[in-house]
Amino acid sequence: MKSFVRMSYPYLLWIALFIVAPMIMILLYAVTRSGSGTITFSFTLDNFGRFLSDTTFLKVLWTSLRIALLTTVFCILIGYPAALFIANLPEKRQTLMVLLLTLPMWINMLLKTYAWRGILMNFDLESEIKVFIGMVYDFLPYMILQIHTAIAKLDRNLIVASYDLGANRWKTFLKVTLPLSVPGIISGITLVFLPAVSSFVIPKLLGGGNYVLIGNLIETYFLVAGDWNFGSAISLIMALIIIASMYLTKRLDRSAVEE
Amino acid sequence: MKRLILAMIAACLALLPVMSSAGGFDPAEVAGTTLNVYNWGEYVDMEVIRDFEKEYNVRVNYKTFESNEYLWLQLQSEDAWDVVVPSDYMIERLIAAKKLQPIDKNIVDNLDQLAEGVKNQAYDPDNTYSVPYFWQTMGIVYDTTKIPEEEMEAQGWNAFQNEAYAGHAYMYDSSRDAFMIAEKALGYSANTTDENEINAAYEWLRNMHRTLKPSYVTDEVIDSMAEGLKWMALVYSGDAAYILGENEDMSYCVPSQGTNIAVDAMVIPANAKNPKLANLFIRYMLDYEASKANSLEVGYASANARVLEELSGAGGEYEDNAAYLPRSGYELDEVYVDLPADWQSRQPDLWTKVMAE
Repeated sequence: MKSFVRMSYPYLLWIALFIVAPMIMILLYAVTRSGSGTITFSFTLDNFGRFLSDTTFLKVLWTSLRIALLTTVFCILIGYPAALFIANLPEKRQTLMVLLLTLPMWINMLLKTYAWRGILMNFDLESEIKVFIGMVYDFLPYMILQIHTAIAKLDRNLIVASYDLGANRWKTFLKVTLPLSVPGIISGITLVFLPAVSSFVIPKLLGGGNYVLIGNLIETYFLVAGDWNFGSAISLIMALIIIASMYLTKRLDRSAVEE
Repeated sequence: MKRLILAMIAACLALLPVMSSAGGFDPAEVAGTTLNVYNWGEYVDMEVIRDFEKEYNVRVNYKTFESNEYLWLQLQSEDAWDVVVPSDYMIERLIAAKKLQPIDKNIVDNLDQLAEGVKNQAYDPDNTYSVPYFWQTMGIVYDTTKIPEEEMEAQGWNAFQNEAYAGHAYMYDSSRDAFMIAEKALGYSANTTDENEINAAYEWLRNMHRTLKPSYVTDEVIDSMAEGLKWMALVYSGDAAYILGENEDMSYCVPSQGTNIAVDAMVIPANAKNPKLANLFIRYMLDYEASKANSLEVGYASANARVLEELSGAGGEYEDNAAYLPRSGYELDEVYVDLPADWQSRQPDLWTKVMAE
């Protein structure tokens, strides 16, 4: 057992070097201001104040959250019936369907998005709708797979028992299948919402340049403006929102299980 | 005896330029070495690079970047590049930061081939550190079936305030260029740091955002305009030359209010590991053959005078292309100077706010 614990050391080192250390650096940058030339460490919360007091930045944050939220909702609305359908197929067909579902994930996301750009170019749609089509397309497999796993794990006897006790199909679904698949929906949300909040390539390519999202902001302040302090503050605000939403989904998960 | 030695030395000296094709040293010295080149994306004929490798029996590690600011960050790290191709104002910043080494003019002995419009620019008056590669102006590509030529020429940059074109325009997502067109439209210098002028330019851009509702794009503008998806776009002349070649409805306007002249030039970082080969490469790229191949491939105006004349002149590839040859010698046109540090971050900040509004 002890040797297994030791095997995790490389991984812990990896986390420390490439996740914890950069996070600490971002935190340091976020709460300091840069002096002339070299970085002089003087503490400040100005970077956060600057973000939170500017309606333009808050609007950008809201747009990012709204797009991520709507993407997640659409993924659930489309993904759930699809997952249910797949879970009710014979075992062999299920494996095939899951394979087909994961197939597009083998292709680079950028390539797929460019393909969508080519397709959607021919349609006169609102740019926001184009962005949703691209986002939902890209994230949907994650949602379906999570829900499908949850439903497939479900004890069939419970459904049989439900019918036995006089519930119709609809009632069985509402009272048995749906509540028991909530953990799947929740891990699906985690896998879709979090990357969707910070995604900026799809909105950039499909939105026809009509969107500035939080990811674009961070990119601009780091790479164009060279203002690492403010860029770090935005990244940190972003990280806090993600941590908060992870905490919330965890809570939801627990209460669902307790039910 | 003394005379004999002197005669021999003289003979050797006379033979030297003949023996080594690259004045100053024997190219065999660098055979088998590697050259790290960092250039803009889509900015070279790769065939030229392969020919260079073959000719000198070397390997070229060719990488690309997307913006001067990104290049600046890259050059702060320890990675050693041998040849990079920044633009004018970034060269000025790199020289000031002592990040560059002088060009070895014994090796790069063909600087006389440079076109008048690009040599001895203010950022590097004697081309001590930089050898121009391509140059360009900024202008408006527009669809002549949607906007008549006289209408566009009369408006110049103010076309970006015209409500009649709402939803039909691409704006290049670059803070420096965005402020340039606003400042030129208002009659200011593109290098202004005057608070009132910057604020007026900011308001001009906000008004553009509200009335014109442009799509903010970068390189995708090239294909989109070639397909004629919108009526007008802010582009570099080199990209415009390509667009005009693809779509005959398109024309190019360089506004009379003045524009930016940009020069991208080859420089050698101070920490370059293979400076000799770097100088050799620069000489090779400036020469007629390579310059012509590159200019034909990407559509940007060559820094080589002969190539420029040949391609834009009678019978040349770009004879009828209004965008290829950059306007030069026009009083209101300016080369960017490097802005003070606080403005370097302020412009992108304001520009982001314009786009996000």
